[in-house]
Amino acid sequence: MKFILPISLVVATAALMVLGLFIGGQARGTVGIAAGSAVYTPKADNAEQALKNLLADVQRRNWDRALAAVSKSSATDKESFIQEWTGSNGSLRSFSALEGFESRPLHITPDEAQIRVRLHWATPVGPLEDVRDFRLIREGDVWKTVLPKIQVPNVPAQVIPVTYLRWDLVSGGAADEWGSRNVDAPHVRIISMNAVDSAEGAVVMGEIVNEDTVPAFVNVNATLVDSAGSAIDDETSFDKINHVLLPKQVSPYRIDFPNISLKNVKSVRMDEKATLVPASADPVIGVMNQKIESDVQGKSVLHGDLFNQSGQTVNISHVIVSFYDNNAKVIWVADGYEDHALLPQSSEPFAVEIPKSVAPKVQNFHVVVDQYSLGRS
Amino acid sequence: MHRVLLICAVLCSAACPLAAVAQDLRVPASVTAGDDVTIPTTGSGKATFYLVGPGVSRKSEVSLGEEIRLQGQELWNAGDYLVLVCSDICNSGTFYVTAAKPASFAFLVHPSRVPVGQSDAVSGVAFPFDQFRNLVLTPVTVSFQLTAGNKPLFSKQVRTENGAAWFRTASGKSAGLLQVVASLDDLSAKRAVQQVASDPCNLRITGQRIPIGVLVQTEPVHDCAGNVVPDGTIVTFSATEANGKSTVDAPIKQGIARAQIEATGATVVSVASGVVMGNELRIGAKP
Amino acid sequence: MSTVRSYSNPIPILAIVLVALAVHGPLLLMQLPSGSFDANFHMFFASHYAHHWFNPWNEKWFGGFSQTTYPPLTHQWIALLSNVAGLKMAYMLVQLIAVLLLPVGVFRFARIWVDDRAASYAALGSIFLGSLAFLVYQAGQLATVSSVALYLNALPYFYEWMTEARGKSLIKGIAISLAAAAAHHVTLIFGVVLFAGPVLWVALLDARDERVSGSVSGVLSRAVVFAVAVGAGVGLVLLPYWLAIIQHPIHQIPIPHDSRANFLLNSTTAVNYFVIPYGALILALPFILFRGAASSRLRPLLIGFWLTLIFGLGGTTPLPRWLLGRAFEILTFERFTFWATLLAMPILGTLAIELLDRFQSKAAVALSLAAVSTVGAALWWLNANPFRPTATTNVQPVIAFLNRDGHDAYRYITLGFGSELSKVSIYTSAGSVDGDYNSARLLPEMTHYGSAQLTNAKFYGSAGMASLRAMLEHANRYGLKYIFVHDTYYEPLLTFVGYRKIETFGSGEITAWSKDDVPPAHKIESDAIPPPWQGLLWGILPIGVSFLAIFLELLLPERRRVPAAAGVPVRAENPERHFVA
Repeated sequence: MKFILPISLVVATAALMVLGLFIGGQARGTVGIAAGSAVYTPKADNAEQALKNLLADVQRRNWDRALAAVSKSSATDKESFIQEWTGSNGSLRSFSALEGFESRPLHITPDEAQIRVRLHWATPVGPLEDVRDFRLIREGDVWKTVLPKIQVPNVPAQVIPVTYLRWDLVSGGAADEWGSRNVDAPHVRIISMNAVDSAEGAVVMGEIVNEDTVPAFVNVNATLVDSAGSAIDDETSFDKINHVLLPKQVSPYRIDFPNISLKNVKSVRMDEKATLVPASADPVIGVMNQKIESDVQGKSVLHGDLFNQSGQTVNISHVIVSFYDNNAKVIWVADGYEDHALLPQSSEPFAVEIPKSVAPKVQNFHVVVDQYSLGRS
Repeated sequence: MHRVLLICAVLCSAACPLAAVAQDLRVPASVTAGDDVTIPTTGSGKATFYLVGPGVSRKSEVSLGEEIRLQGQELWNAGDYLVLVCSDICNSGTFYVTAAKPASFAFLVHPSRVPVGQSDAVSGVAFPFDQFRNLVLTPVTVSFQLTAGNKPLFSKQVRTENGAAWFRTASGKSAGLLQVVASLDDLSAKRAVQQVASDPCNLRITGQRIPIGVLVQTEPVHDCAGNVVPDGTIVTFSATEANGKSTVDAPIKQGIARAQIEATGATVVSVASGVVMGNELRIGAKP
Repeated sequence: MSTVRSYSNPIPILAIVLVALAVHGPLLLMQLPSGSFDANFHMFFASHYAHHWFNPWNEKWFGGFSQTTYPPLTHQWIALLSNVAGLKMAYMLVQLIAVLLLPVGVFRFARIWVDDRAASYAALGSIFLGSLAFLVYQAGQLATVSSVALYLNALPYFYEWMTEARGKSLIKGIAISLAAAAAHHVTLIFGVVLFAGPVLWVALLDARDERVSGSVSGVLSRAVVFAVAVGAGVGLVLLPYWLAIIQHPIHQIPIPHDSRANFLLNSTTAVNYFVIPYGALILALPFILFRGAASSRLRPLLIGFWLTLIFGLGGTTPLPRWLLGRAFEILTFERFTFWATLLAMPILGTLAIELLDRFQSKAAVALSLAAVSTVGAALWWLNANPFRPTATTNVQPVIAFLNRDGHDAYRYITLGFGSELSKVSIYTSAGSVDGDYNSARLLPEMTHYGSAQLTNAKFYGSAGMASLRAMLEHANRYGLKYIFVHDTYYEPLLTFVGYRKIETFGSGEITAWSKDDVPPAHKIESDAIPPPWQGLLWGILPIGVSFLAIFLELLLPERRRVPAAAGVPVRAENPERHFVA
């Protein structure tokens, strides 16, 4: 017993630890924290494992190890490699962390492989997915990833004259005479509304316009009412709207009611709220080359380029699109966040997915862009 | 609290005669707020005097047969007052304090901003108050005057009903400050309404090719009355070409909105602001 | 007394307590734990008891939650002491009491297994445990430390009651066990298996081998009596807790915690949860294994230690997941490492005396260095640790903002404040929909996602941000008008969902955001509000059992212990030298 028990305990511990590597073990990192290295990393003796190792090191921000898994034939250097994965210029990518990934081989030969990876990013605005295809080649007894040359936007030095336009809000003091300094809330109007059932539940959507001559902070609330006149649920447009509308600006809105069917709904009570807020008329972002196409996965996608016409960097842009049928009725509102920053006078591509059930009916669309610029919110 | 005291006093005055000889108390029917009042009494000896009214209650010793003097500062608030004198018996009387002559008034005007040329768009209401902040219910005449620039737009004299005088009128034709003055005797109050341009009218654009595409801009944007549409108003430019559609939401700056559009082929550019459409512009393909 | 002779005697327990006071007293008086993860949480609970002793419904977190969901003893003691010492110092005092009770408990617990001399070295060693420093100064697990200190003091009575049938031991054992449960229920529940299990086992061995007066059946029956009495007592003392947990079982989506990770896949986690807590004890692991296996009396302790060690490894092995099922996703496992080190102490005590006997001063120096470096490394790790709590932030402007101009008519949340959230909550009259106590959350926006506090949402990745989004989506419903941001990470989301920056505090370190259309907060109706009788029970029984335990210790003092023949810290070749008078 003197030797059998300790040896048994040591063996049992070792066996359990080996088992632990195969059951439920995850190398998850914590956002913003380099989580250290793995004590054990499987050898990259097949293409999928090589890519997994590379992405695991990217997750942990172990750049040297990650670069070691990249083929020397790649047209990339350490700096641009890191920038590609961590973002730059305060873009959404620079706030994001690679949370997980799923890979699927597209084509594998003994010396070369093409693997499609669905990357799951945790970002400040919610989870984002990114599909990328990687090429891997065998180098000796290990596989390595070949990365293409990364295009880093290059903005030439220039001076852009800007007529700066903004609205400030001055609050009256408490001592003011009653009624002498009242400033009315901006006048906004819902110009269209449509309610549909979707796979996730009921959806209320449409467009709202600021009819006033001052900027408005707007929010649209909807209450679903049943046949007895009782409220079933009430929700708001949340981030599916451009909250700050400049004079005469139109924004789509979408209000989701998860797990509710319109079958039980008798009417929808709409309530738009508008308040006066300080705002700026800049930057101006153009939406160029908008076109509906099918992507590699066969999904209908609205593609285009966001063109920053101003002289300031837009860190994160949010694209909101209303899709119309042939009667000019809003039949869907979709949105997407752009993970690259928009540098002055430069473009970045964007894509917004259209649900399968809606895509055939789409005749026209209207794109608006909301933006976040560091230090100017 | 005031109501409780009043109820107690009334109950007390109802109960007292059971144990006392009737006594005479003559109070004035109506008193103006802030005026001194004297209430004559009969009999002799000491009695307890109570005064209960809006925001005031007092108890004091008085000599019967002498006048009870109420200071004006006890009668600042308009409303019903109860006086009660108790010795062996209790006697009571009530009087009403009315507001004094107008000394100020509240003047509310709506809205603070209004597009030009809208009917029944501007309204105002005035409430006269006396020096003690009592609403003056006695009808008085309030004069309303609206001027835009130096041009009078509207003038009306209105008698107050139940303490309020009001008006409603159309907005003017020109953007700018609309001054609204209400006056009552030597009192007056001034408010301002910002008259702003209405929806753009006859929105027209011009454009030209530039190396990176097309530069389009509006002509100076006016409403149908010729007022300049305020800077910051969004004008949407849409350019359609074979490759797809491009849109830019550009704000008007110094009366003009302009945008660069990346387009190389033959392009049709249209313009809109809010729900108002403008002209279309056809620009040929890049040579 | 010669050096050799001084090493051959047990260290007086008073001297050990004074060493504990000398080591931890200054650190606690310097309020080192105030930056730990949970210290503000405990002070927040205590602050509520200080103001509402008999009303456990607290509306400052989660729109309202019941404090009966967490055993109250330590918080109530802080609340009592806060009247004279202030909240923070009261916390430090209660923590100090727990730290001083711990070596006493280790000494008494170790005497079940080894002689007084080895037990005294075990107690001395427990002062320098990395796991203790980790829990006190980094994790701020006041309740765990207090509870285990009490529990270790109760176990010798359990052993004495089983083996000697002494009624006094039964009464004192039950009272201290109930106080331990009132401090932290989880410790008691797992302690039954990990601590009391080996004690019962050794009592049975002693009865079988006639080292004690009781018979095997007598030991068993008395163990049942003790268990039933403690079970009934815990049921009553924590009745509002059990009722709350039955009414609202924890159905929330599991929240990730690094102590559940596989340490082999993450070196930082391994250092944080294994290397630092064990420290130099890692070098003694082979000795613990072989010495524990060599003696039949130490084998139950060894098995208990091994099982606890495996649990402390979290997700490194699948055993905890298999044995605990869903509870694996709710518990955190750093406390198991602490318990494992405590279970190892009796055997470590024998190692210490063997080394001292063989190498005298050299061993003393080496052991001292090992002890000091272990606790020193844990203290160094407080700053070196990438998972350390955020540096203390000046939250006074936030508190002042909430307490002025009627801002407390609305609810608020903080983002990027870490445990400073609790500090804001203590001193403001405004309520929050967030909170730093996972088990009390009932709002679906929090329980439906695998994340804990909204203030730390980003550290839970997509799940955390989904939870935050869900809460912001219902901001109008909850009157959530104000958000205080200490991390620009959250600014894009706030911008896109319609919040606006309205004020900046501390040179931009903290910003206040507001949403203009949010109506004032209204009371959230809940079926979790405890009825008044539960508040009364909660305010009387837990603190009552702690007073009872103190009085029993004072009124029924122990006889001076005659060293039992059962103490077997044996080295085969020279067993008798350890039986010192």
